[in-house]
Amino acid sequence: MKNLYLPITVDHIARVEGKGGVEIVVGDDGVKEVKLNIIEGPRFFEAITVGKKLDEALAVYPRICSFCSAAHKLTAVEAAEKAIGFTPREEIQALREVLYIGDMIESHALHLYLLVLPDYLGYSNPLKMVDEYKKEIGIALDLKNLGSWMMDELGARAIHQENVVLGGFGKLPDKTTLETMKKRLQEALPKAEYTFELFSKLEQYEEVEGPIIHLAVKPRGDVYGIYGDYIKVSDGFEFPVEDYKKHIVEKVVEHSFAKHSFYQGEKPFMVGALPRLVNNADTLYGRARELYESHRDLLRPTNPFANNLAQALELVYFTERAIDLIDEALAKWPVAPRDRVEVKNGFGVSSTEAPRGIVTYALEVKDGRVAYADIITPTAYNFAMMEVHVRMMAEKHYNDDPERLKYLTEMVVRAYDPCISCSVHVARL
Amino acid sequence: MEGKVRIGFYALTSCYGCQLQLAMMDEILQLLPHAEIVCWFMLERDSYEDEPVDIAFIEGSVSTEEEVELVKKIRENAKIVVAVGSCAVHGGVQSWEKDKSLEELWKTVYGDGKVKFEPKMAEPVENYIKVDYRIYGCPPEKKDFLYALGTFLVGSWPEDIDYPVCVECRLNGHPCILIEKGEPCLGPITRAGCDARCPGFGVACIGCRGAIGYDVAWFDSLAKTFKEKGLTKEEILQRMKMFNAHNPKLEEMVEKIFQGVEE
Ligand code: SF4
Ligand code: SF4
Ligand code: SF4
Repeated sequence: MKNLYLPITVDHIARVEGKGGVEIVVGDDGVKEVKLNIIEGPRFFEAITVGKKLDEALAVYPRICSFCSAAHKLTAVEAAEKAIGFTPREEIQALREVLYIGDMIESHALHLYLLVLPDYLGYSNPLKMVDEYKKEIGIALDLKNLGSWMMDELGARAIHQENVVLGGFGKLPDKTTLETMKKRLQEALPKAEYTFELFSKLEQYEEVEGPIIHLAVKPRGDVYGIYGDYIKVSDGFEFPVEDYKKHIVEKVVEHSFAKHSFYQGEKPFMVGALPRLVNNADTLYGRARELYESHRDLLRPTNPFANNLAQALELVYFTERAIDLIDEALAKWPVAPRDRVEVKNGFGVSSTEAPRGIVTYALEVKDGRVAYADIITPTAYNFAMMEVHVRMMAEKHYNDDPERLKYLTEMVVRAYDPCISCSVHVARL
Repeated sequence: MEGKVRIGFYALTSCYGCQLQLAMMDEILQLLPHAEIVCWFMLERDSYEDEPVDIAFIEGSVSTEEEVELVKKIRENAKIVVAVGSCAVHGGVQSWEKDKSLEELWKTVYGDGKVKFEPKMAEPVENYIKVDYRIYGCPPEKKDFLYALGTFLVGSWPEDIDYPVCVECRLNGHPCILIEKGEPCLGPITRAGCDARCPGFGVACIGCRGAIGYDVAWFDSLAKTFKEKGLTKEEILQRMKMFNAHNPKLEEMVEKIFQGVEE
């Protein structure tokens, strides 16, 4: 190789969760190498939970990642319940989904307002926006607080929810609390819509346009949501969640503690809010459906920046959806929090839609203990595709001021809303 | 402290939950006029890991060779070092299998795959540098941050809680999960401060705030009850190790609990 310049590196990408960097090597005839270095250390979650009591392992799994601890908890619990042959009652399932939506609302609000928006408005840090953007910060805090309060009430706290147990919940909120929750969700709707308006005006960089393969869980009951039993691919293919290993391979790459995932052997793909919309928009309803119809041209399946707007649309959708789910549970009130479960031997797989895309848990239970665990997180699914998009951005801008190049590539990474720490604790070969 | 307090928030290997907890506190806005954020990658793009600070908050366990260097650098640059959360204070849940070898864990998860960074077994920050204050919990309660920050800002020093979760649980009048349902609640030996959060929801405490000093009486009553409930030594050890694997006295204490008990 001749004429290689010093690599342009971001050691630690700011305003994402976890430690990762970008490294770009440029030569005379263009970009040579683009790497997402994932330097967050490994925590070996699968290895440390094997042989452990099922309930204790279930308490540990959410600690993979704080931004989606509810997603981890609920997916792990579903996989475990499938393994032991238990199906929760409908009203319990509805309330678990409300908890999951709390995570969705909090996570999307945090990502959009505190992590993404400062780039667009020219701030290095969201706290600095307080004086100039009172309204936006106010909405961010309101939505974030609503999401965390929902998790406090249904999960015992907003991070690492101990209140979800095999068979249901430790304790359920009373009827009045659920009614208040419904009211607060109704009040949040205009704020969610404002968020959508705001994000519909932001630049989506043309530099990264190109075909993307989208993967999302096919929603159960054909209503846009979090749970499902099949994975839908934007090329028209569908497969049961149990078959994930047949269609997705994971590879260790030397510049990352997190693995890369590929569809059909070698194809990078995307998961997240945008893939959910691309694959499942026909199952949306309500105000979100209208917004989707009127803004289709902005929700481009070919541009990862559209993921930001897709999240904003989901803020509207999931707020409405949670109201309906609370109504479902209230219709059956009083609801018993928990059923007796018998911990039988078995194997279960659950894939659900975490805020940033599909998360998969495969658990084998034997004599009340975890005998096998395989976990793939959304960001691990996304890394290979993310690297492709960072490269596209670098190829258009490698001649620019290095500071601008860094800023643009970081923005690509942030659009994916990566959970870097959660991505490194995953998946055996 | 005079002028603006220079604060750094540094992450080692973790779930980012402790800093998320801090970032989610609306109260942080009130802190802003008094503080300058020198380093906090989760929120601030202009973050500098090697600048001097008054208070360094460290989250996460030391889990790579690079992080060993980082904590040393932070210590050199900071007046007060605060270990935040169970990962930084106790090594975190990632230390649960502390007795297995790194090679074995690596092989289970990565197979023969290699990466260019150097992993290590997870360890508490204190194994490498002097820590001045600890904020417990996984994650800590918001009031833990408020108390610590507020105290530091007025130039004083926060104090540790030295009684267990059971005290808060009894004061709240929750039914006792250990006695009534026979579940292995760790409340009797876990440092209080969460207002008995989990027992309040009918769920047994898993000890996320870590154990209080072992030389207090609570251990004996737990011993008696666990014994009566028929838990094996191995079961108790595993449960206590979730957040306490690095405690040098753990095995000894559990041994003491089971003195004279046939298994
Ligand atoms: S102590 Fe708990 S909440 Fe804090 S970083 Fe570690 S795992 Fe996350
Ligand atoms: S053992 Fe657990 S439930 Fe019982 S009093 Fe202590 S903390 Fe409360
Ligand atoms: S009750 Fe125990 S597990 Fe729950 S928050 Fe308190 S210390 Fe942590």
